[in-house]
Amino acid sequence: MRAFVFTDKALGRQAGRFVWLSINTEKRENAALLAKYPVQAWPSFYVIDPASEKVVLRYVGGATVPQLQRILDDGALAAGGDREGRKPDEWLAKADAFYSAGQNKEAAEAYQTALKGMSTSSPSYPRAVESLLFALSASRQPEPCASAAKDAFPNLRFSPSAANVAGSGLDCAVSLPKDAPRKAALLQALAADAREVLGGERAGLAVDDVSGLYQTLAEERDSVNDAAGKKKIVEVWAAYLEAEAAKGKTPEARAAFDAHRLTAYLELGRPERAIPMLEAAERDFPGDYNPPARLTLAYRALKKFDEALAASDRALALAYGPRKLVLLQARADIYAKKGDARAARKTREDALAWAEALPKEQVSERQITALRKQFETPP
Amino acid sequence: MRMTLSAAIVVTSLAVPSPGAASSVRQADKEILPFIADDFPRALATARAESKPILLEAWAPW
Repeated sequence: MRAFVFTDKALGRQAGRFVWLSINTEKRENAALLAKYPVQAWPSFYVIDPASEKVVLRYVGGATVPQLQRILDDGALAAGGDREGRKPDEWLAKADAFYSAGQNKEAAEAYQTALKGMSTSSPSYPRAVESLLFALSASRQPEPCASAAKDAFPNLRFSPSAANVAGSGLDCAVSLPKDAPRKAALLQALAADAREVLGGERAGLAVDDVSGLYQTLAEERDSVNDAAGKKKIVEVWAAYLEAEAAKGKTPEARAAFDAHRLTAYLELGRPERAIPMLEAAERDFPGDYNPPARLTLAYRALKKFDEALAASDRALALAYGPRKLVLLQARADIYAKKGDARAARKTREDALAWAEALPKEQVSERQITALRKQFETPP
Repeated sequence: MRMTLSAAIVVTSLAVPSPGAASSVRQADKEILPFIADDFPRALATARAESKPILLEAWAPW
């Protein structure tokens, strides 16, 4: 979003409506704010009433410019700053309040009620559906999530929300237990919706939403053990991302999808295809730990362990916060694969020490427990 | 936001923009949306003084 959305001049009319605050959740000094406004996924947007300091609207995930305009309009309304005299729908406001407080189960119920009384042509309908799907998924209700996506898709198939709705629903369907009675039917319907989005006019869809949809379709093929079908999808996915990157006019725009491209190349078993783009990104952004961190993963997959460790050195020299933990875990894994058990153990100890020193808002107890467990049963 | 995408990010330490990209874009942002970086007290004081809500973007550099 930073490379494509926030720089769009169409957002100019919103500039004076809010005080704009960006918070890097990896920075230690922001940990206290994360306790006040917990973040479950990135990016997350909150509209905050400055008098009460309460969140009045939450939106999770990326958005296109038109979607962001809608979110900001709803946010201004929820904060009582709407100048057009509109009244928020009572149930939608209630759902938004639960969702803003991170009460996903209650939010899901309220969104379901709000949607029953809402016209599918309402400007708030797409956002309400997307928030419902996230709330259902986050509160571990995959079947209602898949069903809601299947029901809403026909109303949104030509909107910027189409990719997210089909993809979120398909994610939920894939995550259903194997013996769930409706699993096969939901998978079939939602995979068809996803293919429709990918086969249709994609103007207005966010590239990362489209990319996510390819990834989910590949997972769906994986879930039914269709290796050839999966490979075909991942090849098209990689080609799509390469074409989008080639359109980029700046180094930022060209590198914006490197993470997605690396995932696709790893899925294809072709990590070497990531090396040139990541080397270019490392040259373009010498202060950024992401390119060498991604090179670490590519070289690990290529079993070039010395190159992987050298890239890991460069990434660790730049990294900070919770991400450094992930880099240390990858490094321990490289040592283990290289057969250096002593270095692997030492790196795991470093990872545990780093995790224990992080503010509790930036690392979960579950992560620390998992790190400790590694010493009980070394791989 | 798709939950499984978050999971993929955790597993492969992936995600979209980079700090380098972010800081450059921040410069351009200033012309469109005047973000205050990592300073909630300042944003809160400004919002109270100007009677405007705060739009908080929580992001990560990976």
